[in-house]
Amino acid sequence: MRTLRGRALFFVPALALLAVFVVYPVVNTVWLSFFTSEGQFALLGNYGEVLSQPEMFDPRGFARGFPYGALVHNVMWIVIHLPLTAGLGLVLAVILREIRGGAIVKSIIFLGMVTPMVVGGVILRFLFDGNVGILPSLMSIVGIPRRTLTAYPDTALFSLILGSLWLWTPFSMILYSAGLETIPDYVYEAAVIDGASPMRAFFAITVPMLRPVTGVVITMTFLWVLKIFDIVYVATMGGPGGASNVLALQMYMYAFREFDANSAAVVATLLMLVALAVSIPTFRSVRGEQP
Amino acid sequence: MRRKVVFLLLTVLAVFSLTGLAAEKKLTVISGWSGPEMDAFMPVLKEFEKETGIRVDYQIYRAEDLAVLLPAQFDSKTAPADVIFMWAWFINKQAQNGHVLEVTGALNESDFVPGVLDAVKSGGKLWGAPYTGKIKPGFWYRKSFFKQHGLAVPNTWEEFVDLCARIKKLPGVRAPIASGNGVGWPLSDVTEHFIATFGGPEMTRDLIAGKVKWTDPAVRAIFENRLAPLLKAGYFSEPIEWTMAADLWWAGDYALFFMGSWITGMVKDPADLGVFALPGARGLVFGTDYAFVPAYTKYPAEARKLLAHLATRGQTLQVAAGGHIATYTGAPLDVYPPVDREVAALLRGREALPDLDDTIGGEWQPAFWDQLKLLWVSPDRVGEVLDTLQRKAGK
Repeated sequence: MRTLRGRALFFVPALALLAVFVVYPVVNTVWLSFFTSEGQFALLGNYGEVLSQPEMFDPRGFARGFPYGALVHNVMWIVIHLPLTAGLGLVLAVILREIRGGAIVKSIIFLGMVTPMVVGGVILRFLFDGNVGILPSLMSIVGIPRRTLTAYPDTALFSLILGSLWLWTPFSMILYSAGLETIPDYVYEAAVIDGASPMRAFFAITVPMLRPVTGVVITMTFLWVLKIFDIVYVATMGGPGGASNVLALQMYMYAFREFDANSAAVVATLLMLVALAVSIPTFRSVRGEQP
Repeated sequence: MRRKVVFLLLTVLAVFSLTGLAAEKKLTVISGWSGPEMDAFMPVLKEFEKETGIRVDYQIYRAEDLAVLLPAQFDSKTAPADVIFMWAWFINKQAQNGHVLEVTGALNESDFVPGVLDAVKSGGKLWGAPYTGKIKPGFWYRKSFFKQHGLAVPNTWEEFVDLCARIKKLPGVRAPIASGNGVGWPLSDVTEHFIATFGGPEMTRDLIAGKVKWTDPAVRAIFENRLAPLLKAGYFSEPIEWTMAADLWWAGDYALFFMGSWITGMVKDPADLGVFALPGARGLVFGTDYAFVPAYTKYPAEARKLLAHLATRGQTLQVAAGGHIATYTGAPLDVYPPVDREVAALLRGREALPDLDDTIGGEWQPAFWDQLKLLWVSPDRVGEVLDTLQRKAGK
């Protein structure tokens, strides 16, 4: 018992820090979201108010085009970015494992990951600039007129999503590379003896055996995309006309432009709930598969 | 003997710490000026250091960033600097919350352009000081470019449209007018110029006061009949980062550039600069820079002294560097570079108007910038832009 108590003492500093810097802010944020800025209890009134704003959801977008509202933009970001970054990461990890100098190529690709997101946002701004950007230059070669892709409502969000692939794919590539090392060679050797083609081995061995890694990649990428802020803030500030606005940026706008902590708390709570709804089952299923 | 040594050491230590403390008294100034604008501002601070012996550090923060940073700092009773340049609406708002040091009496109010102090006055008290102002006079052009292509300054709206059409046909020119973009303010400047020209100074003032709606037919007409047709015709470029736009315009990629008077301090040959307002403009925006002392400064007396220096002698030094117009009437006219005298001449017979988005401020300001970015690339969405602006204004 004494030993147990002694051991428990070591947890106290960490628990205290967690309580002050995680638990209290979370509880306080949720609490704030139920009150109006005048301090009146509104239960879900704030949620209704925030979700009915065009900045959050703009159904007119389905007839007219961007903006659709931050909520839809985040969904689009997840639907496009997540499969691409996971798929690209896996393909790159498999290919670079097989080729000579793959480690060097991996290191170069990984530079995108170590680039601070704010710097990444600035680079993206120039990458898509009609005057100096690489992409508009390449597009002009094939006859597409040069234009600043982040300046137009129909291309701003897609440009950012495309640019974010460069910044985030290295993460999935590295995780998949580590996962590939855990698959024993004899499994592939047995498959070759049985006459399996490389493609068949990829889908029958590599993909299933990397399932726990895929779970982590999907969860981490989902969370990253859900809270995406810095790239958008620096590259487009959510514009033009809110066409690339996302939830985290809208939360920032409520908090630091409108000084409306309650509306910001609503967005923060929604983000937290979605993050929990996705991450808890994924981590559970991954843990269940571990030996 | 040992006691004597200890006493001597302690004395030396005390003297050093006292002199050290005295030497450490320094003030920090924050403004958004960087690059050539900062180079022109630094002599103003150096002069203060020379006169008082107080060291002054300079830090660059954009006003948009300060709007986020300062409220949190003030709530915790701290301030990142002793003198901060900021929007007038922000200074007044923070003064109401007790975060600004009152500076009534620090300036002789009769030494300034009439009305310029009103923006930082409330409750009969003065909360900030005016620095120099910048006129947003209209469209800048290179005289050499106009001469080379046989172009002339327009005297009517039709001539202006015709000028744009002629420029658009010139080989090597991407668009007649370069649209500067930052967080969005250069687009707001040109839009305000259209409002002041076709709606008159009274429309600018009424929009600021909320007496006229953004969806008002008269406002809508300016956007739909004046601005949008030019955008649709491709006479404005797409928004380009404004310093890059300035370089491209100077290099001849664009012929006209709407910018404030500070452009005169940014170009290689100010003598080659010409400027014209939209024909019929009865008012021009005269945007004044304001500075204030946070209530949490460690050196209130010295900070007030620096503020007074900036508002008086500092203005004289600043205008001599070009690009600025003094709000301090004691700044002699002969210190202005010739090109600034030309800018000042544009104000003759026209009303000096407050900067619309800087005066309204708050959440409306970034919404204005963002909606104009949308309008610039999608001019057919005028109605939607104006509806959004009105919705934000009504909040």
